[in-house]
Amino acid sequence: MTDFQLLDAGQDALEQALSPKRKLVPAPVENFYKNYYVRVFAQAILTIWAVLTVTFFLVRQMPGNPIDVLIEQILTQEGISYQEAYDRVAASFNFDPDATLFDQYLDYIRDLLHLDLGTSITSPGTRIIDEIARFLPWTLFAVGSGFLISFVLGVILGMTMAYYRDSALDHAMSLVSSFFTGVPNYIWGLLIIIGPGISWNWFDVGAARGTYDPGLTPGLNAAFIGSAIEHALLPIITYVLATLGSWMLSMKSSTTSVLNDDYVNVAEARGLKDRRIITAYVGRNAMLPLFAQLSISIGFVLGSGVVIEEIFVYWGFGHYLFQAITVRDYTSVQGAVLILSSTFVFSNLFADLTYGLLDPRVRVTGEK
Amino acid sequence: MTKRTMILATMLLLSAILASGLGLAQGATLNVAWPYQVPPTGHFNTFASGGITLGQYQDLHEPPLAVLMWATGEYQGMVAEEFGWDADGNYGIKMVEGNSWSDGSAMTAADLMATFNIFRLRGDAVWANMSAIEQVDDYSVKFVMDAPSSLAERIILTTNLRPASVFGDIADRAAMMSPDDEGWDALLQELTEFRPESPVSGGPYTILPDTISEANLMMELNPGGFAGDFQNFDMVRMWNGETEVVTPLVANAELHYITHGIPPTTEEDFANRGIDIVRSGMNNGPGLYVNHAVYPLNLVEVRQAIAHAIDRIQNGVVSLGDSGVAVEYMTGMSDGLSEAWLSDETLDSLNFYDYDLMKAEELLTGVGFSRNDDGVWVDDNGDPLSFELTFPQEFADWSAAAENATAQLNDFGFDISARGVQFQQHPQDIYSSNFEMAIRNWGLGDPIPGRSYLQAYNRYNGQGQMAGEGAGAGMNFDNNVDFSGGMVNVFDLSNQSSQGVDKGAQAALVTQLALSYNEVLPAIPLWERYTNNALNRSFVSVPDSSDSIFANFGGGADNWMTTLILTGVTAPADM
Repeated sequence: MTDFQLLDAGQDALEQALSPKRKLVPAPVENFYKNYYVRVFAQAILTIWAVLTVTFFLVRQMPGNPIDVLIEQILTQEGISYQEAYDRVAASFNFDPDATLFDQYLDYIRDLLHLDLGTSITSPGTRIIDEIARFLPWTLFAVGSGFLISFVLGVILGMTMAYYRDSALDHAMSLVSSFFTGVPNYIWGLLIIIGPGISWNWFDVGAARGTYDPGLTPGLNAAFIGSAIEHALLPIITYVLATLGSWMLSMKSSTTSVLNDDYVNVAEARGLKDRRIITAYVGRNAMLPLFAQLSISIGFVLGSGVVIEEIFVYWGFGHYLFQAITVRDYTSVQGAVLILSSTFVFSNLFADLTYGLLDPRVRVTGEK
Repeated sequence: MTKRTMILATMLLLSAILASGLGLAQGATLNVAWPYQVPPTGHFNTFASGGITLGQYQDLHEPPLAVLMWATGEYQGMVAEEFGWDADGNYGIKMVEGNSWSDGSAMTAADLMATFNIFRLRGDAVWANMSAIEQVDDYSVKFVMDAPSSLAERIILTTNLRPASVFGDIADRAAMMSPDDEGWDALLQELTEFRPESPVSGGPYTILPDTISEANLMMELNPGGFAGDFQNFDMVRMWNGETEVVTPLVANAELHYITHGIPPTTEEDFANRGIDIVRSGMNNGPGLYVNHAVYPLNLVEVRQAIAHAIDRIQNGVVSLGDSGVAVEYMTGMSDGLSEAWLSDETLDSLNFYDYDLMKAEELLTGVGFSRNDDGVWVDDNGDPLSFELTFPQEFADWSAAAENATAQLNDFGFDISARGVQFQQHPQDIYSSNFEMAIRNWGLGDPIPGRSYLQAYNRYNGQGQMAGEGAGAGMNFDNNVDFSGGMVNVFDLSNQSSQGVDKGAQAALVTQLALSYNEVLPAIPLWERYTNNALNRSFVSVPDSSDSIFANFGGGADNWMTTLILTGVTAPADM
């Protein structure tokens, strides 16, 4: 081999080594990762892990710990000495405030990988998953129903406002929807209790509390279902009142924009019936921006009920999270945040994946 | 869905709603309130965190051995028929016979043994002065004590009895072990994770598990339980929740008695609705604590001047209306305890620290302080009396007390800025000495006077090591106090004053505590908190507020409401 040949061979080897196209990862793995669905799912899992990790350390930086909190409660309520309160509380918790944070974190992640959310600190032996199963369905039912009713009503009323834009009806409804948007949900809750509840006696404030009447057996029976609906009515009304205005205004804005599009004018010129134009042309296109907003809002469903659930004593997921934070039940907070962050991340993922199905102009592919 | 199907579905739904409206029969029901957690977080192991004890209403399902009548200072037996110290310095209890638990088991000495053996497993304070518990016969028990003590007696007698049929197994195993044994911690964990399937009551009422909701729970009459055969109410409805949750129910007359602290505006609204406000002393309240490591707050004269410069009557009224009663004697314990334990001669010799700006000025000038050109006081080094006063911002009454005290002191020439701190962080700041001036509580809701001093001399003064948080120095006060009566260690005195059973000897120690506190003012009591319990006498009959029972603390052990229930006095108003 000549010097030139040697030089060429060396250069080839060098180029191959430095080549950006060199395959460091086996092709099947790379293809697998290139898959859009795998990638976004992995990103979602990574996001949830990041949230959980931050939460894990953050909640432990809050003032006090579960023992301190309960000691203060007992001292306030029972008039016993600090020593007695401490003795009673410290022995009844499965919590070692002196364990290192890192050890606690490793334990937590290991349990999580075994799909074990652990047990409550303040109610030793009670599994977090059982607590979440007790509270979560009520929030999904009440907030979800309120959310759905509000969305449907908002879409219909928003379209009506757009069709009659600049009329007296539009102005009146705009005013009302702006007012509804400006009043926070807890104010609505308090107004409902104080006005119709106490001042006018339209309903029994005490009997309306809870998620269903005592003594009933949960299941598919008329008494239980009726009671559950009855107890959820006030929270649902509050959610509807608090969110209806924003859906109305969004839908009005979106519909007004679509109504000015050429294809609507063409449809009218073609002599299509109004009903078909409203549903197939205007409604469907006007709802596209709201769909994205709706998907993202679903993520907020679980977290939006905290104050309302306290006001109506309708204990769902919001109450559970609030209580866990108040008593510094770290494991319960972590369990609740896992559910919250998962809901939020996956509802966004769902929006990303399904948007293309509704809007043919947007097709999500692996190359994007 | 066809129109007919929709109509059918709607009718079914309406009928279901109507059916659900048929609740439990009303009968004679007492409506009271206490916050609790619903299952699975809440459970029926009342030894463990999360247990549905119902606070002071625990007496109704797990009755106490006795109740102290505060007006007379004598215990009235409940489950304990006879009780007292024997010649060897041990404590004996003989229980009432004939009572049974709601699971049918007889209430005997085995229950007492089980209860106290579980206390030993938990490491409760009562075992600090106790070496053993022995069953004498089916209804009698002997507590083998290291030394007689009023405190130990109180802890024993105010214990809520638990059933051996539920906790006996764990208690028996605990009795055969010592804390050094290998299985001790595992047994403790077994106890905390133990979940009885249903509540077992030994009192006049028993919890109905099927009725537990986040709104309320029902307790039905337990005829075989203690005091169960002479109750005037068939049921007790326990409403769940804190002040803001129960307030509408009281206003609506659905809830008849609450022990929740209510703000003066709510109190006024209740009064307008004809609801009675019952006030009884709580033996504690907010005080002005200072960090004794901060000059010149460590000078007695400065603290005395502060006490003279604050109108405590105004401070109390501004903070909690009629339930904020200014402290008169300034002994470190409540005025009620002062009058009960101190002689008239001692009371007359106390400094009342009346609102007197001239006296405050005199005290400050006496230690070389003066006012600068702006009228602000400067110390003998020329530094202004400028401090930060912190308070738990979520406590409305303490916040008002802090802001009012700040305004009054600034009017006098101090330069104080008030700052609210998150309520769970605030005590931690005090424990770790991270403050200059602060509003925290003085006194204790306990009839044993020496224990009132534990807040100032222990909890806020170096108790940090107790909670494993390091040695927090708290307010840095030297418990070795040199006062006109001599040199004493006030922390030791406060402990010694609850030992023994000789009231005369205890009173002598309490007198030293009171006089030394009154002279050196380690912290400045502002006002005593009185209860403002809302009682709707249109539904509930209890004695007139002049009755001596209202001398009893309105919450916790000995509270007057459960005492009146256990003695069969509380009744429906229309009876």
